[in-house]
Amino acid sequence: MSDDIIVLKDLSKIYGNGVQVRALDGINLNIETGEFVAIVGPSGSGKSTLLNMIGLLDTPSSGQIFLKGIDVSRASAGERAHLRNRELGFVFQYHHLIPEFSALENVMMPMLIAGKEKAEAQETARELLVSVGLEERLSNKPNQLSGGQNQRVAVARALANGPSIVIGDELTGNLDTKSSDLIYNLLRELNRKINQTFILVTHDMTLAEKTDRILRIVDGKLVCELRRKGDLFIASEACELGEDGGKIKRS
Amino acid sequence: MFELEVARKHIISDPKMVLFTVLAVALAIGVIVVMMGINEGYKTDLVNSLVENNPHLTISPKENEDYITLYRTLSAMVWSYPQVDAVSPRLLGKAGAKHKDKVRGVNFIGADPLREDSLMKVQKDMVWGNYSDLVFKKRAAVIGTKLADELELRPGQQFTLALRNKSVSLKVVGLIRTGTGSDETLVYIPLDLAQELSDQPDVVSQVAVRLSDIYAAPAIASSLNSRFRYRAESWQEQNKDVLQVMDTQKVILYIFYGLIFVIAGFGVANTMIMTVTRRTKEIGILIAMGATRRSIVKIFLTESLILGPPAAFFGCVLAYATARLIEAYPVQLPSDVYMVSRLTVLLTPQTFALAVVFALAVNLLAGLYPAYKASRLDPVEAIASE
Repeated sequence: MSDDIIVLKDLSKIYGNGVQVRALDGINLNIETGEFVAIVGPSGSGKSTLLNMIGLLDTPSSGQIFLKGIDVSRASAGERAHLRNRELGFVFQYHHLIPEFSALENVMMPMLIAGKEKAEAQETARELLVSVGLEERLSNKPNQLSGGQNQRVAVARALANGPSIVIGDELTGNLDTKSSDLIYNLLRELNRKINQTFILVTHDMTLAEKTDRILRIVDGKLVCELRRKGDLFIASEACELGEDGGKIKRS
Repeated sequence: MFELEVARKHIISDPKMVLFTVLAVALAIGVIVVMMGINEGYKTDLVNSLVENNPHLTISPKENEDYITLYRTLSAMVWSYPQVDAVSPRLLGKAGAKHKDKVRGVNFIGADPLREDSLMKVQKDMVWGNYSDLVFKKRAAVIGTKLADELELRPGQQFTLALRNKSVSLKVVGLIRTGTGSDETLVYIPLDLAQELSDQPDVVSQVAVRLSDIYAAPAIASSLNSRFRYRAESWQEQNKDVLQVMDTQKVILYIFYGLIFVIAGFGVANTMIMTVTRRTKEIGILIAMGATRRSIVKIFLTESLILGPPAAFFGCVLAYATARLIEAYPVQLPSDVYMVSRLTVLLTPQTFALAVVFALAVNLLAGLYPAYKASRLDPVEAIASE
C-alpha cells in the first residue's frame, strides 16, 4: 500500500439524470510510484473518464480515490485545484498551449499558478525545455513550433511543478510516428531517471505495448490487465482478447 | 500574480476587442461628461444670472400694505447684518412708454442711482451712457436695449412715460443690456421721479439687499421675518420654481446617465462574453493546471478593468474637445426661455474624476458576469470544446 501512489476503490461515474449512462462501473485499481501505465479500450469505454477522475478534473458518483494514501474523492474545489497544481501534470492530445505565450512562458505557467517567483519559474522552465531538446525554441510561440515540438513543450509544462503523476490523454494521437517515438522516449527516460509515474490513455497499441502495464477498459469496467515481464506481457485471468487487444501475447 | 500576466497577454493579443471595448466606454464617458458639463455650465450661468440680475434679498411691505414708509429705518436695520454689501430702497411699478407711434408696457425701477448701482451693478451692464447721470438729471431714464429698439429710441432722445393720468417726458441717458428678458421692459428712473409719477411721496415698494455671501440669504431673510412684519424673501425663495426645475432636471439627467452606463456596460459585457467563449479551452487548461475559480474570475475582471483607465482617458479627451468646440461655436439660447443667453460647458475636475469612476465601474460591473461564467466552466467540457 505504501508504494501505491493511486488507489481507486469501487469507483463509479454515472452521467445524466433521466437516461443514465454508467461511464465507470466499480473500478478497483492500484498504481505504484514509478509505474508507466497505459489505459486502452474502445471509444466510449470510459478511459478518458477514468483519466479525468485520476486527474481530479471530475468527481466520482461513488467510490474513492486515494492519492498518496489520502482520500481526495470528496475534496473541495480549492483543494483539488491545489492538488492538480502540485501533484498532477497533464498532457493532452492537442498540446493545448496558450497561443499568446512563448514556450518558456507556457512552461512557467503552472509554477506561477503555484505562486513561485518569476525568476525561479523562468529558470526551471528553461531547464525543462532544454531537457526536452527545445533550448533553441524558448521564445517561440506555439504557432511557430511543429506538432511534435509543441507536444514536447506540453510535456515540459506537465513536469513544471515536479508532479507525482503525469497524465496523458492520447498525447501522441496527433503526431507522426517519428515525433510519437520521440515523445515516448522522452517520457521513458524521465520514468527511468526520476521514477516519474505516467498514466497514458491511448488508442495506439504500439505505444501501449512499450509501457509496463496495460489496463483495458470496456463499458466502464476494467476487463483486463497486462503486466510486462521482460519482452512479454502477462495477462490477468479475466483477459478476453479481441478488438485492439488481439496483438498482445498471452503468458 | 499570474492572473495579471494572462490578462495582459489577452489584451495585447486582441487589439480589436480592446478597441471596441475602450471605444464603447469612451463614447459613453464623453457623452456623460459633456452632458454634465452643459448642466453644470447652465446651472452656474443660471445662478449667476439670478443673483446678478436680481437682489439677493427683498423686503416687501407688511401684509395689507402697499408701501414701506419707514424705509430709511428699515435700511439702517438691514445694514446691521455683516454680510450686507448694499441696500437700495426702490419703488417698482408698471407704466406705458411711448415714442412717436410706438407704445410698450414697461417695468420701472425708481431708486437712488448710487445705492442701486451698488445693489445691481447697473453700470457694468450699461452699453451706452452713465447710470450716475440720473443723480443730476431728474427727467432722465436708463432703458433696456431691446426696449429701445422696439420704441426706435436712440440715446439722447426723449420718450414719454405714462402712469394712469400722469405722464412725464424723459431723456434716454443710458442703455442697459443684462442678457435677460428684462432688456425688453426695464426702465431705471430716479426714486423721487417714481414717487411723483406714482403719486406716492416718500415711500418705496421694496427694500432690496445685496449680500457678500449669496447662500446666507435664506438665514438673513428668516431672521428679518422674525424681527418685524415686513416680508423678507431670499433669491432662492423668489426663484424657487426655477431652482426646483433644475433639481428635477438633474434627476432626469442621472436617469439618462444610468441608461448610457447600462448600454456601454452591455457593450463591454458582450465583448467579454465573446472573449470567454473564444478562450473556453484555455480556461479549461488553466483549471487543469491548478488555477482556482477565483483566479479565473481575477483574470477576466482584470482584463475588463485594465481597459477602464484608457476608456476614461479617451472619454475625457473627447469630452474636452467637444466642450471646446461648443465654446468655439457658441450656441445662442433664447434668454427669455432659458434665462441665460448662451450654452456654456463647465468641466470641473470633479466631473473628470467622476468619469474615471464611471469607466472603472462600467468595466468592473460588465466584467463580473463573463468572469463568473468563465470560472464556472467544467474543465473536462472546456478542454474538449472546439
